[in-house]
Amino acid sequence: MSVPFVHQYAFHYDASVCSGCKACQGACKDKNDLPPGVLWRRVYEVTGGSWKKEGGVWVPGVFAYNLSLACHHCAKPICGEGCPTKAIYKRDDGVVLIDTQACIGCRYCEWACPYGAIQFDAERRLETKCDFCADLLGAGRPPACVAACPMRALDFGDLDDLRKTYGGTSEIFPLPEAGVTEPALLIKPHKDAARATKDTAEVANWEEI
Amino acid sequence: MPGPTEREWPLIAFTILSQAAVGAYGTVAAAFLLGAAPQPALIQNRVFSVPFLASVLAALGLAAAVSLLHLGRPGRAATALANVRSSWLSREIFFELAFIAFVLILAILRWRGQEAGAAFRPLVIAAAAAGALFLLSMSRLYMLRTVPAWRGLHTPISFFATAALLGPLAVLAGRRMLFDFAGSVDGFSAGAELAALAAILVLILTALLLTPRTGLAGGTAETLRELPAGRIYPLLAFRLLYLGAAMIFVFLFHGSGHTGYAVLALLAAAVSEILGRYLFYALYARTGV
Repeated sequence: MSVPFVHQYAFHYDASVCSGCKACQGACKDKNDLPPGVLWRRVYEVTGGSWKKEGGVWVPGVFAYNLSLACHHCAKPICGEGCPTKAIYKRDDGVVLIDTQACIGCRYCEWACPYGAIQFDAERRLETKCDFCADLLGAGRPPACVAACPMRALDFGDLDDLRKTYGGTSEIFPLPEAGVTEPALLIKPHKDAARATKDTAEVANWEEI
Repeated sequence: MPGPTEREWPLIAFTILSQAAVGAYGTVAAAFLLGAAPQPALIQNRVFSVPFLASVLAALGLAAAVSLLHLGRPGRAATALANVRSSWLSREIFFELAFIAFVLILAILRWRGQEAGAAFRPLVIAAAAAGALFLLSMSRLYMLRTVPAWRGLHTPISFFATAALLGPLAVLAGRRMLFDFAGSVDGFSAGAELAALAAILVLILTALLLTPRTGLAGGTAETLRELPAGRIYPLLAFRLLYLGAAMIFVFLFHGSGHTGYAVLALLAAAVSEILGRYLFYALYARTGV
């Protein structure tokens, strides 16, 4: 499963087949032994729409889809730009890591990241995030979230290779414009994602995240 | 989406206290640098008093100490200077330390009676510049491109206006304790009053026009998760009321010269700025999730 000559590790996520089972979220939490309140991978449930009256009949116009997000190891990691201690750095293979020895827990990176990737560990008093299972990558194995997905909705690899294989976008609601941080994320949107905007849809499971 | 509201009291205290300290220093520095001759020498000897400079240093020290409560690992705070090249947070701390250093040197010179030396005036200017850059860095660090609610001009305008409000009022309220004169230096009190009144007007205009969600021209559709919309406008209304009260007390002080009115103006302004800064953090909403 190792990918030779990787310039930028990336995730591909197929929202059209994701069932929202959260196996990826659970596998990540288990593999990394994350404390309560910390989720390096999170499954957002996006819902929207309403019932509409067509003629004399009310028909359902509601929709829902899932978004499985982790750290997207951005080409322009805004988290690292502002870090006062240079605790956040990017490896040659594109993986963005936090040096836990250098982090002072100022939480500035957490404010800045538009993907909610930076997670404060209240027990250790520092910021944490997805490390792309760097240890597993080194052993030639896939990240825990990718391996756990029963729908094979998640894949990983070099960003250019994933783009050739799958195509995809990183701009679906409620994610920001890709140009802001240039995330290493490709998504095959759910069929209803085109209907979702900030005026027509919302994240329905904030309390879980 | 997690917001910073509930845990940001240390930053509310840090930003307001620091801005007040820079504003107080700026009031005296402006009197020293802009006053008509031979007034500068007089003002230098009287308003750059050791008690005043020590008070500025004490406020900055208290602000810095309180800000440590915000950190997960306060013992490693010194390493926050490591990224001056790209982090506005590092720059903020750099210029804060520079400002403290310059004010400390001024205090030592004044204490030794060396204020007539050639270095005093350049040091006053250097400290003023470091203070301004401290506030500028403090503003810029919040103007993240992923946080529209903080991205606007209202952030630096309101930060500098807080300094221009609380600083002069603190100087007026404490002038009998801090300085060798009793308010008799020509134009000093009037200048401080004018600065405070101008700051009040700027803050009112900023709140009414620019502040996201509460301003007429700055409204955004960003989701607010920490602060229910129903609580925003009462807080804003109270803030404007306290600003109005501060304005009235400044006028009363101008008419009577009673220090008590200056103290009341300072208290009203401080409450107003605490409410304003609480709203600032509460209005945090980033793009994305």
